[in-house]
Amino acid sequence: MTSEVKIPDPLDLDREEEARLRQVAGLPPAKTAVGEYAGFESVGLPERPPQTEREREVYTLEEGEMLVNMGPQHPSTHGVMRLVVKVRGEVVTDIDPVLGYLHRGIEKLCEEATYTTVLTYVDPMDYLSTMHNEHAPAIAFEKLFGVTAPRRAEYIRALVVELNRVFSHSLMMGFLALDMGGITPILYGFINRDEIVDMLSAISGQRMLFNFFRVGGVNWDTNDEFLSRLGTWRSHVLKNVEMSERVITDNEVFRSRTIGMGTLSGRDAIALGVTGPNLRASGVAFDVRKAHPYSIYPELEFEVITQPGGDSNARYLQRIAEIKQSIHLIDQIVDKMPHGAVQAQVPGIIRPKPGRAYAAIESPRGLYSVYAISDGGPNPYRFRMRDPSFISLQAIPKLMPGRLIADTMAVMASFDPVMGGVDK
Amino acid sequence: MVDLRRSWRAADRLGRRRALTAPAKAGALVRLLLDRFPDLAPGLWTDEDTVEVVIEGERNVALLGALRDDPELNFFFLADAAAVDYGPTERFEVVYHLYSDRHPAWLRVRARVNRADPHVPTITGLWEGAMFHEREMFDMMGIVFDGNRDLRRIYMSPDYRSFPQRKDFLLPDDAADSSAAGVRPLERPETWDLTRLSDELAPGVITHAEAEAEVKP
Repeated sequence: MTSEVKIPDPLDLDREEEARLRQVAGLPPAKTAVGEYAGFESVGLPERPPQTEREREVYTLEEGEMLVNMGPQHPSTHGVMRLVVKVRGEVVTDIDPVLGYLHRGIEKLCEEATYTTVLTYVDPMDYLSTMHNEHAPAIAFEKLFGVTAPRRAEYIRALVVELNRVFSHSLMMGFLALDMGGITPILYGFINRDEIVDMLSAISGQRMLFNFFRVGGVNWDTNDEFLSRLGTWRSHVLKNVEMSERVITDNEVFRSRTIGMGTLSGRDAIALGVTGPNLRASGVAFDVRKAHPYSIYPELEFEVITQPGGDSNARYLQRIAEIKQSIHLIDQIVDKMPHGAVQAQVPGIIRPKPGRAYAAIESPRGLYSVYAISDGGPNPYRFRMRDPSFISLQAIPKLMPGRLIADTMAVMASFDPVMGGVDK
Repeated sequence: MVDLRRSWRAADRLGRRRALTAPAKAGALVRLLLDRFPDLAPGLWTDEDTVEVVIEGERNVALLGALRDDPELNFFFLADAAAVDYGPTERFEVVYHLYSDRHPAWLRVRARVNRADPHVPTITGLWEGAMFHEREMFDMMGIVFDGNRDLRRIYMSPDYRSFPQRKDFLLPDDAADSSAAGVRPLERPETWDLTRLSDELAPGVITHAEAEAEVKP
């Protein structure tokens, strides 16, 4: 015998809850979506009044619109990030990125650490460009302490940094294709990456968080394993890059989903603070290695590469051009590498004179800079990091309205953000 | 005769000391700045690749706009914007780093902010990309940027009430407190009570409770 208990429809409960929340928030009552979208109007509405004008704008729905959460565990968000996407059917009308899922407070932790240990804390920030993360603090602290690294150390730094750039860009090529449904290129990307990671682990002792830079030099000199791996890698790297290129570049699906997609003009890119390959793909020749040369870059021959397009395809082509440029730089560095020490003599606990130092470098994602203030003590009084992918992320909500929801991930992947860096 | 090669090697091993006073790499920029803004002279300071000026917070939009739009200065790119807390009895500073393709130096503009009433005009009208910088400064330091249309927390959750990068926000595992107590205090949840900092809330911040009280008479 069955009892006649009426089970409430969960969608009705959602509507009641939404009506209550809207009343609390002072928002107008929701207009009901029609047809197949009925019942999904309340997804993503925060349980509090909107705090700003912009938040009210995002969370106020027009007729036929709804909010979709993309993330935080979405596989193609390159980390842990949530995009609140407002859609009308399949067309994006607004995007609100919600950050902080990976926030570890690295800046605050660095203010409690000695200058030497800061270089270990910055490693897991942008975990695909670990060497770059250490480079800028090393330069800033050397400025503060008034010491220069020996020339061989500077050459080794430039070498590992360019190797890191190559593997970061190879991975970006793979991830971009993966976000459009292509599985093969990411495998090539990881093959290319692993060769370089094995090489860097031979010189630094770690596979991912290298912890290789020191204030006043680097931790180890080159060794036989590193050099032999470098030679082997160099003998076939161009062939590998061309192989990945052949898989992706002329692919019809890839071209139709990247050309004309997410077009960012140079003027907008500058206003938004977009840097690095993404800015150069919009035709602006800004590269910190040329603009404010650091380390040994004044001694190397290279030109700043730019692309005219400004779309996803231009950003991809820019990465390939930069991989080849980095290989060219690595050749020059190995040719010119001098003999000598790799570490200046600095005390275990560094106490710089009170002062301020700013150091900026070109990371694979753009301008990565450190502003360090010393008060004469053993740890930095203030340690500020400007991460390029954090700032570049602001371009996504500007570019996506009017596009399909499936292209959001593809355009985001072309900007190559890393959430470890975005969230610090 | 001095063996130059040998002494260079020794210098390489010991690490050459940098000159602590700056060479005049940015002399032209300094002259130009003093010509355009003579009142900046007291706070002017140069590093080997940085020129620094100090201003009051309210002046940031006017000065940064002038620096951006002057064709000879042409500081068109905002490289960084960060806040510095100089301690509970001192002041805040909002520090802007600018890039120009005309000058071989970064320009650092330090805008002083009253710590008791931290309000600064927003520069999102000059550079749209300053939005995330200002949201981060608001989240971490509690500096309110007047005119910013999206000033909410960016890393911490919306109902969080403290400002973690202020100098009076002490980490519970401060060296003075952790006298070999076994577990670090940071890992013990009972030390996470941050209500003692609740009166630190900057003006202009709406808490969850206040917001609810506003709409519910």
